[in-house]
Amino acid sequence: MCRLSRTFVGLCALLAGSACTPEPAQPPVSVASGSGAGTMAVAAPPETTPSATRIGSTARNIGTLDDIEELSVAIAAERRPSGYFGYGDPATPEQIAGWDIDVRPDGKGLPPGSGTAEQGEALYEEKCSTCHGVFGEGEGRWPKLAGDEPLTGERPEKTVGNYWPYASTLWDYVHRAMPFYEPQSLSDDEVYSVVAYVLYLNELIEYDFELNQSNLAAVEMPNRDGFFVDPRPDVVNAVCMEDCKNPDDIRITWDSTELGVTPTQHFQDDVADAAAPAAVASATLDDAVGQRVYDQACKTCHGPGLAGAPVVGDAPAWAARRDQGLDVLVRHAVEGFQGEAGYMPAKGGQVQLGDDEVAAAVSYMLQNSGAAD
Amino acid sequence: MSDKPAGQRRDLKALLAQEAGKLPQPERRAFLANGLTLAGGAMLGSATSAAAANLPPEVPPWTRSVGRGVVTVPYGMPSRYEQDIVRRTVPWLTASAISSISFTPLHRLKGIITPNGLVFERYHGGVPEIDPAEHRLMVHGLVDRPLIFTMDDLMRFPSVSVIRFIECPANGGMEWRGAQMEALQFTHGMLSCCEWTGVPLATLLQEVGVSAEAKWLLAEGADGSGMSRSIPLEKALDDSIVVYAQNGEMLRPEQGYPLRLLNPGWEGNTSVKWLRRLELGDAAWYHREETSKYTDLMPDGRARKFSWVQETNSVITFPCPENGLKQAGKYEIEGLAWSGRGRIKRVDVSVDGGVSWRSARVKGLILPKALTRFGLEWDWDGGPALLQSRAVDETGYVQPTLAQLREARGVESIYHKNAIHTWRVAEGGGVTNVQIE
Repeated sequence: MCRLSRTFVGLCALLAGSACTPEPAQPPVSVASGSGAGTMAVAAPPETTPSATRIGSTARNIGTLDDIEELSVAIAAERRPSGYFGYGDPATPEQIAGWDIDVRPDGKGLPPGSGTAEQGEALYEEKCSTCHGVFGEGEGRWPKLAGDEPLTGERPEKTVGNYWPYASTLWDYVHRAMPFYEPQSLSDDEVYSVVAYVLYLNELIEYDFELNQSNLAAVEMPNRDGFFVDPRPDVVNAVCMEDCKNPDDIRITWDSTELGVTPTQHFQDDVADAAAPAAVASATLDDAVGQRVYDQACKTCHGPGLAGAPVVGDAPAWAARRDQGLDVLVRHAVEGFQGEAGYMPAKGGQVQLGDDEVAAAVSYMLQNSGAAD
Repeated sequence: MSDKPAGQRRDLKALLAQEAGKLPQPERRAFLANGLTLAGGAMLGSATSAAAANLPPEVPPWTRSVGRGVVTVPYGMPSRYEQDIVRRTVPWLTASAISSISFTPLHRLKGIITPNGLVFERYHGGVPEIDPAEHRLMVHGLVDRPLIFTMDDLMRFPSVSVIRFIECPANGGMEWRGAQMEALQFTHGMLSCCEWTGVPLATLLQEVGVSAEAKWLLAEGADGSGMSRSIPLEKALDDSIVVYAQNGEMLRPEQGYPLRLLNPGWEGNTSVKWLRRLELGDAAWYHREETSKYTDLMPDGRARKFSWVQETNSVITFPCPENGLKQAGKYEIEGLAWSGRGRIKRVDVSVDGGVSWRSARVKGLILPKALTRFGLEWDWDGGPALLQSRAVDETGYVQPTLAQLREARGVESIYHKNAIHTWRVAEGGGVTNVQIE
């Protein structure tokens, strides 16, 4: 094995070395510092118990495996000239242009185009306000966009205005990921317009200010100097083993069970959980599919009633829609629909769903709203 | 709550459920209702007699019959008795399941590898379904030759396999102010550890030839959130991997199928999933997930940026709220420790709230930037106890107390809370998540 190639020389040397000349057992600890009463500064724990003895031997043996893993990575990443493997195809300028969507604080990556808050207002109200609120105040747990409250208060809400350091970040993000259910659907001018409107909501530009490729990077964000590079490690704890604190001083400051805000049914007092599969099996297949798809794609809006969506359980609202005909209802859900009450994205934005899955979800919502035939 | 130890109650419940499964629906409900009363009334003998037919000296039916044949289940799944061991979420944490988090059931996992179906989920735009034949990785920007790779191209490169953890930096982030998660799955479950296979990013960067002025790299996903993060070139050339397989099989869709980035030891969000593009540049991009999110707000109103590393952390996985103690006697306290800076060197355990500590046995593989399992034998006297673990990594960094972190960072920074964690064991064996001073 060791004659196979030069590549393996290092590996063989390592294996031979560990087999023939095992390293002396090292103390398993090297703690840099520690001070104060009862603190054991550097030393290893006293190796008097059987388990302590095993730490040393285990660490030595496993260290060998670990080194092999690292070495194999090093071999695979061995330095080679560019183009050595010759895999892949050249990326053409046209291909790159189609995918290279990122924008930097210096404006690099911004495409030609422009827009004003005035132009963005209607678009924002149609596509954004459902989640982010008409004034950027944020609906429910959806992100708040506008506000200038100080970041030093209790539970400060971070917004574009009080936290985001660069306007370019807003342009980049709206363009790549918004609207939530239809990412990368806005034209460049629409992105400029919506970004202008969000900046306007934060009182950072005027209503009629034209934002464009050449001036966006110059928009000064209030918190542009609010960030500094991570200084961790920022705390130093000590390895204390005995009399580290006075037992009489210990008090419980928080007990999670007093709040009772997390699910615990799966491990406490819920026998029905264990019998759940039988219940699922007794339901029809369509019901199961409908519920799964509902949970996955519909519940976000049809649960709380976002975007004018009829809430599941609201019998009159669903009866009115059912009366249009089930086929119409399913078609709207599959293809998307702009109604008077609100906007239904095609398949709830989850285009990978089959039409029959969407139909099952529609049926599920009707049944659970007392509006099934 | 009954006064039975939690573990004993759960056993009874499992038995009852098992028996109930054999009954028609109406009888099952009645049986479960009665069974609960029995269990609560401590009539242990009556409750267990239901299953005695399958216990020694009796011979159970599965020994007197044959089971299902090969490929009845072409892709194997866990026993139906393990159906409760699943990813779970806390619904109020996020606005929508499409941009949300689920947690790994750490309380029932063994060793250091997380099974693929239990790796925690974090999506910003849901899980895309990508045909690998139509997936491409574009590498461009400040390079000699911009290239587009197919999956076949990428899998021809010399590959590596490493065991590394991935942790969301918000793991534990709901508890800066106080304890509110009532289960280990929710206090620490944004954490998983797999064997990852792929191409070292350094190999791909050598293949395209990185220009001398390049200092940063933008990694971008093909999902509906277009997830994007700036990675410094030093990290990319150090140990980043472009990954296509986990635990021996192709990546799960939830983990970025068919291709993801892995930045070992760094906050999970930088390990961009559904990776479609790498662009080399001379400055960071300051995108949404490295400004608005994944920055750490300090009490003075300023915020830490580029806070990538997941510092040394540990937690006791047995006992825990989901796995209470039963009768007094000998137990092995078990747990997990991990460090984004390298190997775990040592773990100490306290059963008295940090007054005194004993060194735990570190078990099995001790790999850099991987989950490391520890255990300590303990003779429980049946009384109250406060359990804690404290890990030390090979750099000498000692896992801090929550008081230390709060003093340095306040309580608004959300991310990177790696404090020593406390479980309270009550008389009777129930375990709850608490914070102490």
